Amino acid sequence: MSYYDIDSILTDAQKLPCTFELEVPRLGVLEGNAGESVKAGTRIDLPLWLGEMLSIGARLGTSRLVTLDLPTALSERVMNALKADPRTVDLRSLAPHFYSLSERILELFEEEEMVDVLIDTFKKRAAEIADQAHNPRGAMGEGVEFLRGLDETERQLFRVAHDSAKEMRIWSGEAKKRS
Amino acid sequence: MAFPLPRGITPPEIAFLAEMEMVTIIPRQRLEGLELLGGPVEPLRPPRRASLPLWLALLLKRQRRANILPPPWLHPEPLSFILDVETQHPDYKSAFSPPPLLPGQSHPNARGQTPAARPRYTPDGQRYFAAPPFLPQNTAQTDASEVEPPSLPYHWLEVGNMLLDAASDDLVEPDQIRILLKDLREARNAKLRAGIDALDAASTGGGGVALTGVGAMELGEGRGFMVGVVDNLRKIGASKEQARREQMAEEMANRGYDNTQDDDDDMEF
Repeated sequence: MSYYDIDSILTDAQKLPCTFELEVPRLGVLEGNAGESVKAGTRIDLPLWLGEMLSIGARLGTSRLVTLDLPTALSERVMNALKADPRTVDLRSLAPHFYSLSERILELFEEEEMVDVLIDTFKKRAAEIADQAHNPRGAMGEGVEFLRGLDETERQLFRVAHDSAKEMRIWSGEAKKRS
Repeated sequence: MAFPLPRGITPPEIAFLAEMEMVTIIPRQRLEGLELLGGPVEPLRPPRRASLPLWLALLLKRQRRANILPPPWLHPEPLSFILDVETQHPDYKSAFSPPPLLPGQSHPNARGQTPAARPRYTPDGQRYFAAPPFLPQNTAQTDASEVEPPSLPYHWLEVGNMLLDAASDDLVEPDQIRILLKDLREARNAKLRAGIDALDAASTGGGGVALTGVGAMELGEGRGFMVGVVDNLRKIGASKEQARREQMAEEMANRGYDNTQDDDDDMEF
């Protein structure tokens, strides 16, 4: 994960529900009413980078400022859907950087079961991606729905697999090189 | 991205490497020997056979100065035998057909003594045993004593395709060979794709994917995808792996503590 990696920057910007434990004066700008103070117990969606910073107070010995919750993209309901059939879930509408987000979340939360569900999901979808990528007609036909639901990581995977299959066809003379 | 080529190696590059393979030709014209960086090329004296690098053989073939003797595996019978092994044989349901034997390696089913590897010598006189890609896996076999089951060499797809393109009139039933090569590729591609499940084990450590017998071109094609899958699986499983390691370290520490308690009673501070 490089400093200039646009995907990791975008992952950092994804929202995470946070609950304030303390009253914070003059932080109402986060809620949309600037100048006011944030009451204890308020729930605000904060970007991952900010929520992560605010929640580590406990490690420094002070009481923590906010507590984090799981984002909706990784809620129980989504996990159940993924368990039922990984292929039909539209990950992109849940979070454009679904897997990078879950990596970061799993660093913050201890969720043994979620790791297993996600690994299984990724494997099943990767197999489907490989099939779609080797389809010489590309992203046409019945695969469109599935491909639209891929998150950024999966899109890169699809692109790599599709490009290498295409290179092969160009080399072996089955397809014309686009000039 | 600034660099337009994908990571890894592109098919034309793999094909370029495959052109180093030695093949057997029957020259039609005399040609003096050439001193190449890769070693001298013997003078061509028709109708004596000679072994040349594939690129030179293809050049001579295009100039109609030589005929190429197809490698032993590039015939319809060996190819359909290998295809049978790939698709029907119970031992190779998910594995690839075995690569050619290395010198000194005996066939697993064969009984008797292993064939002795013939050492070769460097210009300095040092002994060494050649390994691929410096083994002549694509030259026509001269001595009939070497009866081996047919197998696909590392550069089978590239050599096969290039010979079909440039020297199809030297092959036996080129159309049949073309169909068989295509079938083989599809059968093996399906196996590579089925290996995604096994990639998971590879990402968490202690597992692995058997890629024995997979050709250079197939590896080049699958590289980007397989690396991506393993990398992402590793990232998703990172926290679990971390927990597992901590637990192991804890257990180790506990065990160490118990041991010291048992036999170091007098070491009290």
